[in-house]
Amino acid sequence: MTFRTCSFEKEIVQALKDGHWPEGCGAELRAHVDSCVKCGDLVLVTETFQRARNESERAAPSGSPSLLWWRAQLRRRNAATERVVLPITMAQTFAWLVLGLVGVAFVVSQYRHGVQWASWWSEFVPSHALHVLVSGTGQVGWSSVLLIFGFGVLALLSGLVVYLVSDKS
Amino acid sequence: MRKTDTTGEYAIPNVETRGASRADELPMDSDAFAGFYQRSAPGLRAYLTRVSGNHALADDLMQESYLRFLCATCPEGGEVNYRRYLYRIATNLLRDHWRRPRAACIEDVPEQFLAARDGLSHIDSQALLDPAMARMRPRERQILWLAHAEGYSHREIAEITGLSAAGIRLLLFRARRKIARLLRKQIDAGRQA
Repeated sequence: MTFRTCSFEKEIVQALKDGHWPEGCGAELRAHVDSCVKCGDLVLVTETFQRARNESERAAPSGSPSLLWWRAQLRRRNAATERVVLPITMAQTFAWLVLGLVGVAFVVSQYRHGVQWASWWSEFVPSHALHVLVSGTGQVGWSSVLLIFGFGVLALLSGLVVYLVSDKS
Repeated sequence: MRKTDTTGEYAIPNVETRGASRADELPMDSDAFAGFYQRSAPGLRAYLTRVSGNHALADDLMQESYLRFLCATCPEGGEVNYRRYLYRIATNLLRDHWRRPRAACIEDVPEQFLAARDGLSHIDSQALLDPAMARMRPRERQILWLAHAEGYSHREIAEITGLSAAGIRLLLFRARRKIARLLRKQIDAGRQA
């Protein structure tokens, strides 16, 4: 396929754009369009498309601009809400993950230290645990309680840090 | 033109987000948008209708184009650039539509269906153009419409479609030759009939 432009092309394009074709153009240009296939194609196609555009434009477009504007505002608001909620969700997930890992680590460490699970659990019923916390005289030592409390605080703080970091980003 | 609506007519309580733009900060206020819509919607709808061959789809895509236009950060440079940006959004939406599963692809819609479904053939130029357009590829339809109906330059079409200006030049040359041949055939057939 040969791809060459005609020297009259720009002139014809401008005449078509300005609506000067064919009355506003010289006889030489009109004669050229009759003889040049490329320019003939250009005129035929442009005139057909311009007529089609003018006819299509007469049909009133559907939709109200104020409704569209309102919907766009709503969409922006939703996007902003999502931006706010995303870090919280991330922090929440991360906190649960850390808490789970801490729990597993705690169980594994206690198991390795040879805790008697059956006796430990029977003594760690809620009422007894409360008693331990209040009086501090139970068989479950302060170190374990503090350890659990410390891990809980760590999980919460981890979540908070992730939230702050993701919110900032 | 970048200002927020202070009338409160369409205001929605906004969500304050640190470091992000305000929720109601649209590229233009409602009055400015209404004016822009009135001026640009007929042309955009014609483009989408002619390229997709489907009025309902064109209406949907047009609304989505304006929504995305309003939600996006619009380019500087006034209405000419706004309009070009709008056509770019619409072109991308058309491309996304065609990329969906083949059952919904415009290429699979029979030519007769395209002409009959939308009832476009009641006007002469439409009757002439529709069958020819239906035989063109979607990309060719886009380029032809943007060049010959909207009067965009090769560079502007390249910006809208995401292709290179040199590629547009060649594609347009081929598409124009192809559609001119189809149009001439139809004109000859009409004369003989």
